[in-house]
Amino acid sequence: MSKKEKTKVDSTLLQRIKKGCLWIVLILVAVIQIFPLIWLVDFSLASSTEMFTNGLLIIPEKIQWGNYVTAFVDGHFLLYLKNSILINGLAVILVVLISIMAAYACRRMRWKLSGLVKTILLLGMMIPIHATLLPNYKIYNTIGLTDTLWALLIPYVAFSLPQGLFLMTGFIDSIPWELEEAAVMDGCGIYRIVFQIITPMLKPSIATVAIMTFLNNWNEFMMASTYLSSEKWKTLPFSVLEFTGQYSSNYAVQFAVMALTAAPAVIVYIILNKHITKGVAMGAVKG
Amino acid sequence: MKKLYSNKWVIFSLVLPGILVFVFAILAPICLSVYYGFTDYSGMGEANFIGLENYKNLMHDSSFGRALLNSLLLAIGFICIQHPLAIVTAAVLDKLGGRAEGFFRCVYFIPNVISVAVIAYLWKFIYNPDFGLLNNILKAFGYEGKINWFSPQMAIWSVLIVLIWHGFGWGMLIYYTGIKNIDPVLYEAASIDGADWKTTFFRITLPLMKPVIQINVTMAIISALKQMETVYLLTGGGPGDTTQFAANYLYQQAFKAFKYGYGNAIGVVFILICILVTVGLNKIFQNKDID
Repeated sequence: MSKKEKTKVDSTLLQRIKKGCLWIVLILVAVIQIFPLIWLVDFSLASSTEMFTNGLLIIPEKIQWGNYVTAFVDGHFLLYLKNSILINGLAVILVVLISIMAAYACRRMRWKLSGLVKTILLLGMMIPIHATLLPNYKIYNTIGLTDTLWALLIPYVAFSLPQGLFLMTGFIDSIPWELEEAAVMDGCGIYRIVFQIITPMLKPSIATVAIMTFLNNWNEFMMASTYLSSEKWKTLPFSVLEFTGQYSSNYAVQFAVMALTAAPAVIVYIILNKHITKGVAMGAVKG
Repeated sequence: MKKLYSNKWVIFSLVLPGILVFVFAILAPICLSVYYGFTDYSGMGEANFIGLENYKNLMHDSSFGRALLNSLLLAIGFICIQHPLAIVTAAVLDKLGGRAEGFFRCVYFIPNVISVAVIAYLWKFIYNPDFGLLNNILKAFGYEGKINWFSPQMAIWSVLIVLIWHGFGWGMLIYYTGIKNIDPVLYEAASIDGADWKTTFFRITLPLMKPVIQINVTMAIISALKQMETVYLLTGGGPGDTTQFAANYLYQQAFKAFKYGYGNAIGVVFILICILVTVGLNKIFQNKDID
């Protein structure tokens, strides 16, 4: 073997070792991030008596699908899922609509207070949500909004709006004026310009705002548990919250209800993973 | 054209929904908080005006001090543990390419889409002294005996671990996008010049990531300040006040200790702190950019 060949072998070996190290780091991080969830699913399929083992995972003697049946029925899974989808869907629509309208008015229309109004609306970003829990509870209680859809919808929209507005103003600035000028020549009114010309051009940013709003609110439960008391509008996290009291000694069923309530978001995330990644990256870097 | 774009009624109708939402959901509650912050209202019965009494008490309230200290600890944990790990993982992931890259990126982010309710109870079980995952792992390494992860000395660290773990994917994803935005020509040039990965990372990746790091650090500090939900479910701020956070504390004072007025005073101070910190951080990072 000549010297030249030897160094070549060495360098490919070195390359492989390097590549191997990269893989080890990545796999290690993946295990740390995902193993608790595997453990959760594993324990949810066992019976409570099997849990006191020394091993990390259990191989259940008989897979206990019954845990999931109990979780599904007693956790009001379908009702809470429906409520979550409805409330979050409405919040997304409202945030997108209101933020497009306000962004257009603040960036394109000519009026003295446009900058001030935009700044005031963006102030919401700095306000900690949880500081409004106490006064909002009082307000909703007084005007009879507790235990209604509005008690969740209003704060969800309010606290996602600043970010939505922020993103939308950025995107509207990048749309060329010429398009609108042509529309005005054709006799278009402002409303038609906003909803028929500008809105379709904002599609990617609408997706970003929708994803951020959904991620912000889907798993929210602090406001929900403060403003709601009956089952009617409770959202998905309540399946877990209520179960821990009700089945405090039946651990296996608690594991099942946690896996079940986590499932919809995880499945949707895995399917839409590329879009959500893009949305979060855009939203976070610009926001 | 000009007339069309300065029509007052059209402008008014476009911004009205946004302003209504802001006034009703943010401004009105804050005003109400300011009002109740000056009273001794318990949640029921009469509200008596007591001036600055609540604020005076808050100055000497060690629980509130502890809450702010814990926020500081959490922010340090995010910046010194979570973010360096996230940047390195992002840089390594960026080199991988192919389907595996997408797979790992997806896996790292999954904890982020799971409800805090599930995460908090899951970790309660992981920390469980009888069948918890963590004690079983220690046992596998030969450690006998049960660690009480929620003892007064351990509890805050246990809470920090959960929060650092849960937010890791988010930070990683943003750093990863930042790295992807770096012009690959720079890396090619560096490798032609014979730079090793260390030099490349410290001379190209990190400096170019500065704006992204600034955004991420700002968000980390603010989220450390606003932390409530995980703590509320995991420890409820206890044992004692060892894992107390401001938002959790004001909630407890109002709804569990029936000091609604005092809770609102905490809320007002809390809002002021959040605004000051946000504005302050933005100022610091802006000035740095000019230098």
